[in-house]
Amino acid sequence: MELFEATAAARESATYEEQQPRKGFFTDTTLCIGCKACEVACKEWNQLPDDGLTFTAQSYDNTGELNGLTWRHVAFVEQIRDGRADAASGGEVVREQAGRWLMESDVCKHCTHAACLDVCPTGSLLRTEFGTVVVQEDICNGCGYCVPACPFGVIAKRETDGHAGKCTLCYDRLRDGETPACAKACPTESIQYGDLDELRRRADARLEQVRANAHFRDASLYLRGEDDGIGGAGAFFLLLDKPEVYGLPPDPVDTTRDLPAMWRVAGQAALALAGVTVLAALGARR
Amino acid sequence: MNDSYYGRPIVKPHVWKPFIPWYFWIGGMAGAASVQCVAARARGDNELAVVLKRAALAGALIAPVLLIADLGVPQRFHLMLRVFKPTSPMNVGSWILSGFGGAVTASTVAELLGWERTSRALEVVTALLGPGLTVYTAVLISDTATPVWHEAYETLPFLFAASGVGAAGAVGCLFAPPEQFGLARRTMIAGAVGTQIAERAMEHKLGPFLFEPYKTGKGGAFKRVSDFLCLTGGALAVAGGRNTVTTRAAAACIAVSGMFERFAVSAAGKQSAKDPKYVVRPQRERLGAS
Repeated sequence: MELFEATAAARESATYEEQQPRKGFFTDTTLCIGCKACEVACKEWNQLPDDGLTFTAQSYDNTGELNGLTWRHVAFVEQIRDGRADAASGGEVVREQAGRWLMESDVCKHCTHAACLDVCPTGSLLRTEFGTVVVQEDICNGCGYCVPACPFGVIAKRETDGHAGKCTLCYDRLRDGETPACAKACPTESIQYGDLDELRRRADARLEQVRANAHFRDASLYLRGEDDGIGGAGAFFLLLDKPEVYGLPPDPVDTTRDLPAMWRVAGQAALALAGVTVLAALGARR
Repeated sequence: MNDSYYGRPIVKPHVWKPFIPWYFWIGGMAGAASVQCVAARARGDNELAVVLKRAALAGALIAPVLLIADLGVPQRFHLMLRVFKPTSPMNVGSWILSGFGGAVTASTVAELLGWERTSRALEVVTALLGPGLTVYTAVLISDTATPVWHEAYETLPFLFAASGVGAAGAVGCLFAPPEQFGLARRTMIAGAVGTQIAERAMEHKLGPFLFEPYKTGKGGAFKRVSDFLCLTGGALAVAGGRNTVTTRAAAACIAVSGMFERFAVSAAGKQSAKDPKYVVRPQRERLGAS
């Protein structure tokens, strides 16, 4: 944890001429209708080419995942009970609820402790004055380290130009006081953009409202707090089921949290290497 | 009802090409060789020392080629040294490799010019950076969200260190004259034994569930070959005593075993990232425990 304190101190001492309140997304999945306007708006504004026309046969989701060229991804979860008789119902056909669709527009979480940013060897990944995490495309040399480091599998290397890519929270639009393209295009306000503090207040109120409905007792806010393994996220979600159902990790951790311990172990291993060599040097010549 | 999203990966598997496990092996060997070179000098085993120094030089010259070949934008390789960033093991490693390569190259040049004292002093500098070069790659892969790498961070540096020591000893046995085998033979055996111990420790640390990627698929196949060669080499080296032929055969086994070891780690990492169960179950257990 010393490392987190050190990076937090560094962040506070970082001087932006115009430090802004931390910006983020609150994605309320109860309002998502799966229209994919966010995906399209993101591609158009950020001039991202298609990443292959594939048919996944996974509901209406032919996007599949976030990657270097796809920075919004709408997940379609089908939870359909087929209503056929089964042993548990004693042979009786059960039709109490036909089932439900869960839709969720996924995006980079802009973590408080961002593993991608921590491990980036060139300093290409940086934190902006809005508290977001952005790849400087002219610095990234495509080493690919950020790809396995991200606990959410968001950032990826792009085939087109070799460097890493992910959501910038429309940094260029933010600088002009505009709303990110996805939030602007969202017709149901499932994607809400704004100051993180304000979004959190709004999300708390919304959660209470949703939970009042008997169908949605399991609703929860995902990444809303600051006491998780990534120190809170700039993009958080209202989910109706467990995170893994949407392809999200239930307890994400910034891998760098354990880095001081890793270096300590490596130091011991390096000493062991030298020690074994010295011992081996004490024996006979042949 | 569902416990994953169509079985799709949650974290992304690494996208490094086979250049990287090759680098892990050659860099690990070179780092350990530089230390053994200085040890051999201290003993007066100068021919062995030269072999080890050449091995370190070869490693230092090949490593950057492998690393740069893997980059998405290779012409920007120098941006690795744009900053010094301790939170990035890859950045720290780039500095270590640069220092190591510079020192061993300069030492070799000094040797060719006949500047013996400068050359020896630079060998010591190289040897100070060598252990770091051997183990930092273990920190590099541990510092990811890849389940079998991150959860094994307490044992991976020892595995890489042992495998590096064994490979360097093996290179010494392959190319040094038999009358100077002693040091290299012992490091080679120590490396093989250490590799096996570190593997068991890693298996224990990961537990049966997270160790599965080392038993199935490519990860399992590479590991079985590596283990077979490591045990065969170790047994041959011990049983054959000071026999030149058996020692060299053992050395070949142990050197190649180290390569398969790194490919096993690379493949197992990929397998553990691709199947969401390796991400979800440990995290659920963690949440349940707290």
